[in-house]
Amino acid sequence: MNNEQFETLLKGALKREPSQADAEAAARVLKRLAGPLPRQKMSLRQLPGILLKWDFAPSWPRMAALACCAAAGFMVGIAGLDRPFDQLDAPFMSASRDFGSIFEAEPFGGARQ
Amino acid sequence: MDDSDEALMARVARGDEPAFRALARRHVPAMVALARRILGNGADAEDVAQEAMLRVWRHAPRWQPLAQFRTWLTRVVVNLCLDRKRRTPWVALEAAGEIVDPGASAGEKAEADERERLLAAAIEELPARQRSAIVLTYTEGMSNAQVAEVLGTSVSAVETLLVRGKQNLRRALGDVLDEDS
Repeated sequence: MNNEQFETLLKGALKREPSQADAEAAARVLKRLAGPLPRQKMSLRQLPGILLKWDFAPSWPRMAALACCAAAGFMVGIAGLDRPFDQLDAPFMSASRDFGSIFEAEPFGGARQ
Repeated sequence: MDDSDEALMARVARGDEPAFRALARRHVPAMVALARRILGNGADAEDVAQEAMLRVWRHAPRWQPLAQFRTWLTRVVVNLCLDRKRRTPWVALEAAGEIVDPGASAGEKAEADERERLLAAAIEELPARQRSAIVLTYTEGMSNAQVAEVLGTSVSAVETLLVRGKQNLRRALGDVLDEDS
């Protein structure tokens, strides 16, 4: 058998003829692919687009909750947690005498002989 | 609407499942047949085709249309087949028990069928890359340049693979070919 005949034999044997088995196999694969698909891998090239498309509109209930928390924190900070509510209008006395003991210079214990 | 492979891939990249299923319907039959030719096993061919299409879905956002989609998909399928062939233990042709004695057939049609059956068995015996080159050339009708792109090698390397593959086939089919000449 010469090269030309061998080429013809190869082409004849390997030419694609869709068989019934191939069609059934393809149908099974397509059926398996009809289920839920896995998550796609994200490309870094898409990152700017994702950031630009981001919806920055505030969520108003969360904004209200944040404002309430801020107001409560402000009130607690102004009033102080160590004072009862019925004495909030009483004048606030600072313990200045205690600060004096901190900054008061110690007396000399005696002159050097 | 543009329903070319590239247009569908652009939609798949945005997570469009109907576009992916259209792409699968278009290419899965050919990919199953190609994988079966390379692997010689129908069940493995189905697994390979499914895995290839899932890779298409997962990697679609990263896909860049540098080559034709069909060429890229063929490359994915061939690489999966070669990986699978590396992992599969070698089975000798005698152990497969599929070869029928050529002398038992009668008539030209039966002889031709028998010759093709022997040729198919001999192709299964080829090293994986030689077999891939021959299948892509004669089954898919690809040029040497396209086969080189799919196999990730040079055109001259493909030519070498084809020459060696054919030499091995001639050697394996020596008696049968001599009878015909």
